Amino acid sequence: MVLVFLSIRVLPGDPVLARLGAATEVTPEALQALREEAGLDRSLLAQLFSWLSHAVRGDLGVSYISQFPVTQLVGERIPVTLELTFFIILLSCIFSLILAPLSILKPGGKLDRFIGSLTSIGLSIPGFVTGIIFILIFSLTLQWLPSLGYVPITEDLGKNLQLLIMPSVTGALTATPYLVRYLRASMLEIKQSSFIRTAEGKGLSDSRIMFRHILPNSLVPTLTMLGLIVGYTLSGVIVIEYMFGLPGIGSLAIEGAFKRDYAIIQGVSLVIISLFILTTLLFDILCGIVDPRLRVTKERQNEI
Amino acid sequence: MAITLAAPILSPYDPYAIGVGEPFVGPGWKHLMGTDDLGRDLLSRVLYGGRITVFIALAATIIALIIGTLWGMIAGVQRGWVDEILMRTADATMAIPQILFALVCVAAVGASVVSLPIVVGILLSPTTARMARTAVVVELASDYVVAAKATGLKKSRLIMTEVLPNIAPQLLVQLSINAASAVMIEASLSFIGLGIQPPNASWGTLMLQGYGKLWNTYWFVLFPALVVTATILAFNSYGERIRVSLDSRKSSI
Amino acid sequence: MTSSLVVKNLSISVPSSKGRVAVVDNVSFEIPAGKKVGMVGESGSGKSLTAYALMRLIKSPVSIDGGEIFLGGREILGLSPKDFRLLRGNEISMIYQDPMSALNPIMKVGQQIIESIQLHSPVSKALARKTAIELLASVGIPEPESRIDSYPFEMSGGMLQRVVIAIALSGEPQVLIADEATTALDVTTQDRVLTLIDKLAAERGLSVLLITHDLGVAAQFSDDIMVMYAGKLVENGSVNQIFSNPAHPYTKALLDSRCDYTIDVNKPINSIAGQPPRPDNRPTGCVFSPRCAHVQDQCKTSIPPLTSSQGRLTACFRADELFQVGSAN
Repeated sequence: MVLVFLSIRVLPGDPVLARLGAATEVTPEALQALREEAGLDRSLLAQLFSWLSHAVRGDLGVSYISQFPVTQLVGERIPVTLELTFFIILLSCIFSLILAPLSILKPGGKLDRFIGSLTSIGLSIPGFVTGIIFILIFSLTLQWLPSLGYVPITEDLGKNLQLLIMPSVTGALTATPYLVRYLRASMLEIKQSSFIRTAEGKGLSDSRIMFRHILPNSLVPTLTMLGLIVGYTLSGVIVIEYMFGLPGIGSLAIEGAFKRDYAIIQGVSLVIISLFILTTLLFDILCGIVDPRLRVTKERQNEI
Repeated sequence: MAITLAAPILSPYDPYAIGVGEPFVGPGWKHLMGTDDLGRDLLSRVLYGGRITVFIALAATIIALIIGTLWGMIAGVQRGWVDEILMRTADATMAIPQILFALVCVAAVGASVVSLPIVVGILLSPTTARMARTAVVVELASDYVVAAKATGLKKSRLIMTEVLPNIAPQLLVQLSINAASAVMIEASLSFIGLGIQPPNASWGTLMLQGYGKLWNTYWFVLFPALVVTATILAFNSYGERIRVSLDSRKSSI
Repeated sequence: MTSSLVVKNLSISVPSSKGRVAVVDNVSFEIPAGKKVGMVGESGSGKSLTAYALMRLIKSPVSIDGGEIFLGGREILGLSPKDFRLLRGNEISMIYQDPMSALNPIMKVGQQIIESIQLHSPVSKALARKTAIELLASVGIPEPESRIDSYPFEMSGGMLQRVVIAIALSGEPQVLIADEATTALDVTTQDRVLTLIDKLAAERGLSVLLITHDLGVAAQFSDDIMVMYAGKLVENGSVNQIFSNPAHPYTKALLDSRCDYTIDVNKPINSIAGQPPRPDNRPTGCVFSPRCAHVQDQCKTSIPPLTSSQGRLTACFRADELFQVGSAN
């Protein structure tokens, strides 16, 4: 949890850097005028506090270039990112939950090693490369799916999903190798433990053992990991949005970076990091639901 | 795995050996990787681009190594609140999504062959720092250190001559993995246009140019993509193999 | 009385630098119905492996090389894994050494029992739950109706072991194997658990195979005793015979090395010189010969078979000669 608060504090540090960059690029007079207008002439720290206090109240400042309130821009685009992220997490989980159990049916066996090589390669392919390959195959050659653009769910569900398939799968394929590896290691460790032996001793079938005993116990450490993986994926989401022409906050960040529009960059950074923190929290809560041992602290204290 | 290891490793080294310029050859299909829209031989461009990408990646890795190791070692040696602060900072930095971080920094300081390694290097250093710190703490607790201290060896000498060589293998593993990440980040950044700008071209930039022409010249994108992947894979595999042999050596002691 | 369990020439091997070596070597014994047999021996003597073989829980790289096992008259090593799985936990069950880690930590204790009940007989959830509560009561857990919904971390070691026993009995087995089932418990709890097993065995006509390295526990609990050394069964007889009049040099040495509060503290402990041989380094001939005080040439070259001597089985060429009832040794 401390990490979480620290990262919120660190984050504004970067946009402040960005501001410093801005300061060197304009002519002195225009610079002075801009400065006074944007309050850049106040000390750095003062700026920081002022910005933070505005942010907390929901006001992320006004974009330098476009003059739209950043909050509005972000608000318009967040649903896209949220939908994409949701699908990516969903698909990653599905893929991993298929691949990891297959892997440990016979640890060290052919299937396991094959999946292992797949994850190695998967880790090494940059997200956008996967995206490119998909576009090549599905949009250009097979003409099955369109490659760019976005249609909101409220307008047309079918089209919305159609446009989101490739980006989601691309994103999922970046996260899945990590997830599979971790899940596999966790499951393998659980497989060796005593209570699995008891389960076998009861005469339970292998599949029942896998899904009712090994998997639930492996989920807890993996959920924590999943939070981190999501953070890593959010990076990829930025690129994916840009590639596939999805108007989410990731592509907003890129546009902002191109135009050196610091208000946007700052605002988006804050939102993305908050998103990350929220997801991590969410997974922490999920951990508590899956593992009863984590819930009990208060009750135990009462018992004692 | 040995095969995948050998072949891709050759490719990053090629650019150094050949260092081909960019001949303005007329459009021809007898080129190994085809030509780009201006008729330049793609193979040469890829090799040339490789020099830039690999340079940035390796520079970033070295920077990450130096910063990270110092960071971790100071934390590991000093302990106490210095350790706490340093490591919390590391964790916080690690928590920020990578490309976002790079994006912000590039927006601030611009992207060049000089700035990118620094940015990426800083980005990658926390993981090295964490690893270095753990390794240092473990080493400091081990017998030979206690023995050395007993002989009155000065602390800084001790660290340099004894501890450092012993954690070197683990640092090497981290180095490989960081190199792989560096390549990936640089390629991603250049691809979205925030990295190396034309006429300089790294692999990522090449892919960006190719992407626009995707409709009729698929190879423009494909080959740099394959090369990038292969390089990253090579670095990763290399790191894995070192780690595996480290583990097996440890368990046989 | 028919035998619940008959084991013939069981051999189990593991891979080593010298190829596969036997860790359980040609072991044969019988457990009659309703009898309680204690299998004693040092760590590494092969006793646990034998138990796992009975449950067919031996996994690669360890493998069963040969032999036959008859459970209630039916040979089980030859059955397909699928067929045997129906028997495991059902006709033959096992309880294990460390109760604290023997249960799924995130599943309610009752659910784990119900899972076993429903596996072995087609009953409704409600009926299974009722049976589970009865089982919990029969193993001596207080307030079973509420305890059934507890999680393992909410229970003590002794209680957990009772739950494990409840699970083991849920299929109404003929044979119960207890692999060091009391080793991880404190002495008082140990006693309670053993008494419980004793009572349940008597009530249900169970055969019990108790595996332990604790001679005291074995003596207290068993009707018969089997002594294992370095993968071989060296002596097999009733508890009285074995403890008051051992007929194998190893058994004798083992009993002589026991300490209790009556020994003279000024004298050294009677330990057996040397170490048990590693599986890849077994001597030719009698496996105890390197350490035996009565060794002769014959012992070093040929393996003594289990022969009847003074009313029990022993694997020693010189048993009759050395261990006459009443002889001063």
